[in-house]
Amino acid sequence: MTRRGFIQASAAAGVAAAVSAPWQPSLKALAAKGKKMGGSKGQWLPATCQGCTSWCASEVFVVNGRAVKTRGNARSKVNGAASCPKVHLALQQVYDPDRIKVPMKRTNPKKGRDQDPGFVPITWDEALDTIADKIMELRKNDETYKYMLMRGRYSYMRDILYAKMTKIIGSPNNISHSAICAEAEKFGSYYTEGYWGYRQYDVANSRYIILWAADPLSSNRQVSYYSSVWGDVMDRANIAVVDPRLSISAAKADEWLPIAPGQDGALAAAIAHVLLTQGLWYKDFVGDFKDGENRFKTGQEVNEEDFEEKFTSGLVKWWNLELKDKTPQWAAKLTGLPVEQIKRVAVAYGKAAPNCMSWVGPGNCMQTRGAYTALICHALNGLTGGVDNVGGTLVANKAYLSKFPSEKPFMDEMAKRGTKHKKIDQRGTLEFPALKKKPGKAVVTNRAAEGILEKKPNEIKVAIGYMNNFTFSCQQPDRWERALASIPFVAHITTNASEFSWYSDILLPDAHHMFEKWGYVKSAGNGYRQVPLLQPVIKPMWQSKIDETEIPYLIAEKLAQRGFPNLLDYCKTVEDPETGKAPKDEKEFALYCLKYTTQKLWDPAQYKGGDKFKGWEDFRQAGVWNSDPYPYRKRWGHMKTKTKMFEFYSETLKAVLEKHAEKYDVSVDKVMEVCKYQARGEMAFIPHYEEPYLVGDPKEFPFIHVDHKSRLNREGRSANCTWYFDFKDVDPGDERWKDVAKLNPIDAKTIGVKDGDRVRLVSPTGQLECIAKLWEGTRPGTVVKCFGQGHWVYGRVASKVFGKVPRGGNNNDLIPAEYDRLSGSSARNGVTRIRVEKL
Amino acid sequence: MPKYAMVIDLQRCTGCGACSIACRNENNVSEGIYWSGNINETVGTFPHVRYHYIPTLCNHCEEAPCVRGCPTNAMYKKKNGITMHDPDKCIGCRFCMFNCPYGVISFNWKASHKFWRNQTPLIKGCTSSPAAEVKAVGGTGTPYYNPARAETLEGIRRKGVVEKCTFCDHLVQKGQLPHCVVACPSDARIFGDLENEKSKVRRLLGKFRPFRLKERLGTMPKVYYIRDFNPAAYQRDKGGV
Repeated sequence: MTRRGFIQASAAAGVAAAVSAPWQPSLKALAAKGKKMGGSKGQWLPATCQGCTSWCASEVFVVNGRAVKTRGNARSKVNGAASCPKVHLALQQVYDPDRIKVPMKRTNPKKGRDQDPGFVPITWDEALDTIADKIMELRKNDETYKYMLMRGRYSYMRDILYAKMTKIIGSPNNISHSAICAEAEKFGSYYTEGYWGYRQYDVANSRYIILWAADPLSSNRQVSYYSSVWGDVMDRANIAVVDPRLSISAAKADEWLPIAPGQDGALAAAIAHVLLTQGLWYKDFVGDFKDGENRFKTGQEVNEEDFEEKFTSGLVKWWNLELKDKTPQWAAKLTGLPVEQIKRVAVAYGKAAPNCMSWVGPGNCMQTRGAYTALICHALNGLTGGVDNVGGTLVANKAYLSKFPSEKPFMDEMAKRGTKHKKIDQRGTLEFPALKKKPGKAVVTNRAAEGILEKKPNEIKVAIGYMNNFTFSCQQPDRWERALASIPFVAHITTNASEFSWYSDILLPDAHHMFEKWGYVKSAGNGYRQVPLLQPVIKPMWQSKIDETEIPYLIAEKLAQRGFPNLLDYCKTVEDPETGKAPKDEKEFALYCLKYTTQKLWDPAQYKGGDKFKGWEDFRQAGVWNSDPYPYRKRWGHMKTKTKMFEFYSETLKAVLEKHAEKYDVSVDKVMEVCKYQARGEMAFIPHYEEPYLVGDPKEFPFIHVDHKSRLNREGRSANCTWYFDFKDVDPGDERWKDVAKLNPIDAKTIGVKDGDRVRLVSPTGQLECIAKLWEGTRPGTVVKCFGQGHWVYGRVASKVFGKVPRGGNNNDLIPAEYDRLSGSSARNGVTRIRVEKL
Repeated sequence: MPKYAMVIDLQRCTGCGACSIACRNENNVSEGIYWSGNINETVGTFPHVRYHYIPTLCNHCEEAPCVRGCPTNAMYKKKNGITMHDPDKCIGCRFCMFNCPYGVISFNWKASHKFWRNQTPLIKGCTSSPAAEVKAVGGTGTPYYNPARAETLEGIRRKGVVEKCTFCDHLVQKGQLPHCVVACPSDARIFGDLENEKSKVRRLLGKFRPFRLKERLGTMPKVYYIRDFNPAAYQRDKGGV
């Protein structure tokens, strides 16, 4: 069936009846138009893939109410018809036989890895009653701040469950997963160009691309889009990949720079040194010496007066403080890369300016001192004028979305008091500055485990988690096991009984985002922003309900029955923009939330830009809104930094760091010291090289652990899909149905390990077992292992013996809970040394 | 009559495997059986190393050794060049597998989709079982069973017969592209009619020097490869002694 056929068919079937049974229109349409298709009658319905945070606009082929296959949504200007391999695995997720069917409660009060929770099925009523009672008990005792909400995978309907409900109950403790993702990357762009967000990369117009441990053909972000254009990008651009592991992006690159882990800052400094000494900076952006004579000479300071900057700030200071001695020879020793290669890459990169990019991946900055690596690698985009420019790094285009109504009128005195408490993740303390615009504004996800265990700032009595699995996805997950076990009541909204669920008292069956949920997300790429819609394209499996909207509405009803109507009253303010009606049940609420927040995209009367629709139905059937094209160079001279310029000396960072130091009456040097950074004095305010901070004695732990992501990882949730294992060999060096640690053959010989041997990897904080793979794509001295396996629950495929024996090993069991404390990020790359024991 | 062929552009290919997973999906292929696979290779010694990937599938050879060796004509050539299999005639002798130089034919030693026949729930009363899941959604063999496959071949192949890629003949006969071609995010797979002088495959085969797998065997495969997985630039010089 063609798209036009589908739209006509849907319209004919009266899609407006979508509220109570949103999947029905497709069935009716099918009956009307599907006959010609013989055995394949069915239709493509728009959806969104959230397997990673690319958030591609997708489509699902639905036959008789059953999802049969998937593809990209050709209407998207970001990913178009392209779909990376991950999306297909979503079918095995939605129809995972181990999805929980019904609400469940644990019958074994003891919590521990060796304690079977003894889950039994209960009704939705019983589950919701229990949760409501627990919340009311907090309210009765005026300790609402002891409530906590943990967020994992989300859509922008998150505000209801994550923010509004938490605040109306009266707690500050809504803790997102963001800091275990890639927040350190955002630090780099925020304190140079005032942008806290993931950049888009204008690869189609680029002439030189440096990928810093980024692997866009495998993971995060816009994998579908980059996969679709990479073959053409290679014709126009030179590509250099900096990564201790031969990633697939490195395999297809012109230059592979297999750097020693954590030394990326040294390489970036040397590249900057070459760009300046050879006069290759982009003068239309950065400016020039007043007399045109290049005074950037190795080892020599430059007089600030002699240089006139255009759209940047602090170049000469940066040179004098950091760059003047950072020669390729200096960097070669630290990085283990040849001087010639460093020079070659730097010069070719500079010659491509401004149509070139320095692409900061999470791998090089989700490290203990990663904030400064993110800064110095991103600062190269300032030197070359690639920032906000053709072929360079871009921010997200404007999208016109509406905020939910304010929760403030529904917060009573107790809620106001409660929300004033400090957050459980210890953000904003001296040791955890978690800087954004102000200190203490970024999340420190993994630290919440200590917050809970130490009851600091306070204890947590009631917690709800949704689509998160911190007992698997956080480093040193045993801390989370203890933390969750210490909370008197935990509820988990989840598709599968996961490691988090194992420590929960109530489980609620969650709708699958791609097939069963209303919502929207935002993503950017190819010079566009898109807003793809999450829609129920099939009838929800079993008794599952939508995490971010339906479930809080149902809880709100239960709270109202107990004399606390504030949350329900709030929910009633989200009215259907088309009819002005308040929602009368959870299903209407879920739909109205989406229509309400996206009204400016679909309502012609409120049109602001980008794709134009005739109304809600028109938008719903298209499934995606696209922005206007990217306005290049509009931000030059108008960046959201203190100076409005691209800052090589970050006045923005200086202000916020000084504010944080002042709060504790200490110097910035002291902040640097307690946060494990080496910078002192003004170095704290400029992009600079810091030595990697590695845990473990090199004698006892001779190798450095290198973590990476699979191109089949739907975050950590692919491991119960047989296709994940059947096709695992699409990750270079990996093998089907195995979890391998990739060792360089030189190292393997030294320690007497052969290909296929069972090995134990041991770090100072944990261990795992897996299979040794001898592979030339591993830098000697490192052990490379993919994240994604090692579940000991989650499902019959994910675990070897459910509840007892993991299949493969979880990298997080090796990685100590360290942080890049300025951004609040968890350190997961280049964090720890390990040893390899043959079993 | 068209003669179908596929061109695989290795420069566009990123080795992601979307083709192979989508093929599993479209053709209801059982676990462990690969109609679409790959040959991958890591070459060189650190730090001078690269990884290369070649997607593989039935080559739909013009001189198909599998067809020649089949004693019952179960494996046969269609007029449009597709090498097709009829499970009703197949006696499971596996001569085709032995004769195929590419290892792209599989035998069903067991009934398909064993995983989905399991009836044990993981958590009693709280989770489903694979078999119950299939039943609940109205699937056949798997919950995501694709009924379109059954239009030209058994939707799921029985125990005791061979199976392999059919160039998605069930789609091609309706004027649609094979599903691996649709699913390739990189447009690395180009499908078309060699007899049609305007077809993209014909144009590409005239523009590039294609290669085919084990060409020397004279099987005349209809899957052609063009360009390189890694067309990297390098610094020129004459080497040295």
